[in-house]
Amino acid sequence: MRQFFHPSVLALLFAVFCARAQTSLQISPGGLIQLQTAQPAVDVTTPVTATAEFDPPVVRPGDKVFYRVTLDAAEAAIDWPEKIPAPSELKFGASAHGQTTQNLGNKFRSLTAFIYEVRPVVAGNFIITNFTVTVAGVAVEIPAATLEVVATHSDLPAPRQLQLETSVTNLFLGEPFRVRVLLPAGIRNEIEALREIQLNSDGLMIDKTAMRQSIEVTSVGGQLKPALVCEMKVTPIAAGRQSFSAQAFTAGREFSGAISIRGQVTIPGGPTKYILLVSDKITINVRPLPADAPPGFTGAIGKFFVDPPQLSTNRLHVGEPVHLKIIFHGENDLTRFVPPATPRSRDWQIIADKPPATGFTLIPQTDEAHETPAIPFSYFDPAAEQYFDLTIPSQPVTVIGDGLPTQLTAFDRDEKSTMPLKLSDLAPTPGKIATSLKPPQLRATLVCLQMLPLLGLLALWQWDCRRRFLEAHPEIVRRRQARRALRREKRELQKAFATGDAKSFCEHAANAMSIAVAPHYPANPQALVCADVLAQLDEANHNGIAGETVRKIFAAVDTQFALTKQTQVDSLALKASVDALLQTLEEKL
Amino acid sequence: MKLFRLIILLANFAVAATGHAATNNFFAQGGELVRAGKFSEAATVFAKAAQAQPATGTLVNLGLAEWQRGHAGAAILAWEEARWIDPFDERAETNLKFARAVVQVDAPQLKWFETASEWLSPMAWLWLAGVSLWLAAAAIILPRAFRWRRAGWHQLLTAFGIFIFLASLIANVGIVSRTQIGFVLRKDAPLRLTPTQNGEVTSTLAAGEPARKLRMRGNYFLIRTANESGWIEQNAFRLVSP
Repeated sequence: MRQFFHPSVLALLFAVFCARAQTSLQISPGGLIQLQTAQPAVDVTTPVTATAEFDPPVVRPGDKVFYRVTLDAAEAAIDWPEKIPAPSELKFGASAHGQTTQNLGNKFRSLTAFIYEVRPVVAGNFIITNFTVTVAGVAVEIPAATLEVVATHSDLPAPRQLQLETSVTNLFLGEPFRVRVLLPAGIRNEIEALREIQLNSDGLMIDKTAMRQSIEVTSVGGQLKPALVCEMKVTPIAAGRQSFSAQAFTAGREFSGAISIRGQVTIPGGPTKYILLVSDKITINVRPLPADAPPGFTGAIGKFFVDPPQLSTNRLHVGEPVHLKIIFHGENDLTRFVPPATPRSRDWQIIADKPPATGFTLIPQTDEAHETPAIPFSYFDPAAEQYFDLTIPSQPVTVIGDGLPTQLTAFDRDEKSTMPLKLSDLAPTPGKIATSLKPPQLRATLVCLQMLPLLGLLALWQWDCRRRFLEAHPEIVRRRQARRALRREKRELQKAFATGDAKSFCEHAANAMSIAVAPHYPANPQALVCADVLAQLDEANHNGIAGETVRKIFAAVDTQFALTKQTQVDSLALKASVDALLQTLEEKL
Repeated sequence: MKLFRLIILLANFAVAATGHAATNNFFAQGGELVRAGKFSEAATVFAKAAQAQPATGTLVNLGLAEWQRGHAGAAILAWEEARWIDPFDERAETNLKFARAVVQVDAPQLKWFETASEWLSPMAWLWLAGVSLWLAAAAIILPRAFRWRRAGWHQLLTAFGIFIFLASLIANVGIVSRTQIGFVLRKDAPLRLTPTQNGEVTSTLAAGEPARKLRMRGNYFLIRTANESGWIEQNAFRLVSP
């Protein structure tokens, strides 16, 4: 019990009753106002003042001098005249204007400056008289400024201005290049900061986020001098020849961001003087890119390399993500490098990594995916002046599909008869085969095959019709048979003539004549005699050589039946007239 | 010339024999792969065998391999193709019933003449139509041509032949009509309002869902399912008889 009432334990118990829930920080309304007014206020109440000066105030004829007008007002509020009332001996050149914000300790105030490049033609004192401009509806007088132009003077200070340097002057559209804006040290090696640095061109895009500042000794006008160097990345966004200059406000000690200093320099003290400075113009030639950009070109210009892609795994299931790591290298800065566009694939869901990473997360949608999709990428090398393909090749993977159940549990016994509870086993043999899954009804060959019986039946029908016709016209059959028999007898006749067998010659000639005239009666040829043949000859042939030949042939044949010896006729000599006669009779068939 | 023809004929026989042997090799190889649990590879091999020579057993095994690797649509299509060759294949019939019960899809809704066409294989219907037609024609022509005595059975045979021909003609129409039936291959295949990749998706179809192809445009089929119509990508839908 004594241990229980230890002072620390008692303190803890007491603290439980005293403790309250943690509450949010209570701020009084006045405190909120203090939070809101933590920054200095913008001064818009103080009357606008203006200054005007020539920089430098003394020059020789033809030298460059800057006429600078400064007003502590916002640029948008100033109604600045198109033309300055200046003497004609002063030739006005390029102009620039800009706005910055002065930090006056407890308040901010806008500061606008207009600057003109002026070259006096002759010596003398020239005054740009005072003139009035309207600032937010209020007239503000610009004071007069005097320029002394001396004919000869050996030690005149040069006007203070910015120096502009570029890494290249001949480049391609979209090709990033470095621009250095230099502010050489002033008198006593004093280095000032620069603010509101800008390049006066519509065809350039400046990446101020990658700006670097340094103080280094550099060559300015042939002399080594310390200078503030502001280096930035610029990308041309319009083709053609482009001239541009730089402008900035001096800002005393108000350096923004880190700065590296090399050499001995002096940082000025005292209040900051905001002076608008400009540089001379630089001309660059921007060439358009070749038109035949390959697929996968995202605007990368320079020289790039890619490491072999790395897959986190090459064996995965459907729906399981895999990461494709791709690392690009380049000879130049990769700050503005645009990674390959996410490809579209039916089999993969592809998610690009968040920049600046250049990898992809891939999720297979089907196990039919056997490789990752190729990721097209190409870049333009300005040195080689051509595109190069840097496509990420496909990576082989094995995607495993999720199987389906092959067996079910029977919940309802009544359905057992209609629904199978498991899949069948493998078929042991290929089973019934088919030449194609296309139905034979749509295959021309098989349909044509079905037409073959039609041809057979048509042929049969044609044969039947012909047969019936010949039955109705027997003379056609007889004539056809007579012609066939006549050709046969004529062949025998030729053989007999060739062998000199006169007897056989006469027999075949008589037979041939009988056969040739038989269909005209109609009669059996063996039943016909000489008169029957002669009856089929016309009048002229009947009494002419043809008739005589018939008579002689039949007489010669009849001698075999004579009881007495008959006078032999030279039958073979009748060959020509027999042929002519048979030709005549055949034509009549 | 005769020798040349003989060589070509022998070459054809040799190619056919080689193809048949290759198909058998694929079939055996696919079976081994299924038993080894390599369903994806087995499906590829069976698909090759079926492409070389469609056969019921090959298609049944192709469907089993596809089912095992999770492709319900491809499995149902393979078994339907097996039934297309042999409507009485028990394995295909069993597997189709099981698969449709598992993935909750219906069998295709057939018209009456399409149902009749399932009673025999397409080849059998074609031969039945051809034989019955020419039998009837022969029964008319042959007695007249050969001057047979007219008999009652001639007329009976003619009537029977014409009847069978007309009946089989209807079934043949059903066969042709069924060639437009296909099955969705992919799971959740989008059915679009227009035949474009950016077309509005009206619904998604389950793998194995039957549909009728109405027409084709570009890379898309216009299909009609039991409930709706729309355009589907060609690789997500395949006809039983391509």
